[in-house]
Amino acid sequence: MSENGATAPGEDPSDQFIGGDNDEGPRVEFYGGRGMSAFPIAFFIVWAIIQTALWRIGDTGGLIVGILVGLILGMFFVRGNWKTYANTIFEGMTQPVAVTAIVAWIWAGMFAQLLQDGGFVGGLVWLADTAGVGATLFPAITFVLAAVFTTGIGTGYGASVAFVGLFFPAGILLGANPVLLFGAILSGAIFGDNLAPVSDTTIVSAVTQDADIGGVVASRFKYIIIAAAVAFVGYIVAGSSMDGLEISGEAQTIFLESSEAIGLVHVIPMLAVIGAAVAGRHIVEAISWGIVIAIAFNLIFGLASLGDIVMFNAPSDAPFAGPLESLPVLTVVDSADAVGVTGSLMSGVSGFFELSILVLLIIGAAQIMIRGGAFEVLLNWSLENLATNVRNAELTMVATAALINSIITINTAAEVAIGPYISKIGERFNLNGYRRANILDGQTAAMGYIFPWSGGVLAGYGAMQNLPGEYEWLDQAMLVTPIDVVPFVFQGWLLVAVFVIAALTGFGREYVTDRETEEVARV
Amino acid sequence: MSVFDKYLAGWRLRTSRPSFEVGSEVDIFIAESNGTSGRAYVGDTELIIEGAGPETIEKQVRVRVTEFDETTASGRGEFVEVVGESSYAE
Repeated sequence: MSENGATAPGEDPSDQFIGGDNDEGPRVEFYGGRGMSAFPIAFFIVWAIIQTALWRIGDTGGLIVGILVGLILGMFFVRGNWKTYANTIFEGMTQPVAVTAIVAWIWAGMFAQLLQDGGFVGGLVWLADTAGVGATLFPAITFVLAAVFTTGIGTGYGASVAFVGLFFPAGILLGANPVLLFGAILSGAIFGDNLAPVSDTTIVSAVTQDADIGGVVASRFKYIIIAAAVAFVGYIVAGSSMDGLEISGEAQTIFLESSEAIGLVHVIPMLAVIGAAVAGRHIVEAISWGIVIAIAFNLIFGLASLGDIVMFNAPSDAPFAGPLESLPVLTVVDSADAVGVTGSLMSGVSGFFELSILVLLIIGAAQIMIRGGAFEVLLNWSLENLATNVRNAELTMVATAALINSIITINTAAEVAIGPYISKIGERFNLNGYRRANILDGQTAAMGYIFPWSGGVLAGYGAMQNLPGEYEWLDQAMLVTPIDVVPFVFQGWLLVAVFVIAALTGFGREYVTDRETEEVARV
Repeated sequence: MSVFDKYLAGWRLRTSRPSFEVGSEVDIFIAESNGTSGRAYVGDTELIIEGAGPETIEKQVRVRVTEFDETTASGRGEFVEVVGESSYAE
């Protein structure tokens, strides 16, 4: 030790140096320790695995019961006042990120349904048939288009919904493997969610690490494009080895014959959505423009009637039904079962009602885990025991970000929660804001679209439920059970792999002394 | 840095033990302090910063490098001033 109390380099002064202490006491206390606050989420994950993987029941309603039972059982482990537990559920459910996801699903659901009912799928099939794109190439091309679309609009959830509604049926008809096709759509969503400057996860990753969005996007391009190049080849190889479904030859011929190029006019509303989003419009505004243009095109080109878009089916005894029956949006029906509102707008949103409730409840349970301290226990333990040098620190950042995002359904919420910890571990080793933001968002984007309870998978699966009613040749058995898609989300797995390799080799690593992020430089 | 350069930045394998020139000034986050000196890690390189007390922990400070040994990837520096906060500070 030197005279002034400092320690010479080379000595081991660990016991004299004391780091910062940011621990806040948990707000909800549990019998069995802070780890027990993960009970509701853990119970739900076990339930989801049993229901969807072991018993192959993709029913969202069943998952709602699973999370409800988990939340109720978790309450019995609370020490002290249960009111705090209940309030914490509300605190989680009312987070803007959860609502943002739901809004994106619903708007994208309406938009995709309008395009679907306006013959866009037929247009795609016509184009693929004319261009000679067969079952082998279709998943790889779907991946690229989904990636471009998501990078434009910034919402991977919205893109999953739109592409499952549009590209999934077209691909199946052309003989592509449905599981691979769903995986390719999710992979494209990951690409865009990760890269798009307007994506909420991109923004959260930049803001929590004090970095500018432009710099974050530019610096993460290298990881994303490496993963995407391998994924693209992967989809071609898998496309040539995995068989499609047997669609009855007659149904296929009929659909192919009725497929017309005119449906492709709906590329324009898609471009309008991308253009509006890139121009900085809110996603609600951007997709709304797409909806308006799609409705206009459907009516102008005779692709769908007003009644196809929205139709009120009123009972014959309704007082104002008879006199107004001549309206194009009103039908008087005799059977009580037929009463209701139908049409593209209705069927577009209907797949997401149950899902929205499920997601709110999961986010509530995740908040219990955060406020109860299980989250902090895990992160502090990893900070103290795993992050022993810069390589291990980066691996720890990758692993914890991946784990938390695997557990919390809405990846933006997971990212908001874990952002400060990534910052804490990274700053200890003076990794700059770009590197930290990229490690954080890589895992956030990837893990949000892989597991059966991930928001992106749930969104795509929700959209898939509508398809059997839309096409005569498509039945329930042709849909993908969410657990089956897990290994085929190539972009997700490869992105995590790229970051593991980057941590091990130092690829892309930047220290604060190499380059400051621009926000910081301005300060 | 041009937009194009930003896309090309970081396409390399960066060492876990970066070195610093004596006399240079760097802005780095302090990890720990023993009361009168602070310690910072830049990757696995260790710098002891004289004059960086407990109030500088997890803050970004300007450091003038006074000694550096590349073989052990360790060195010493003098605290100049606090230049920034941690991004997770409230």
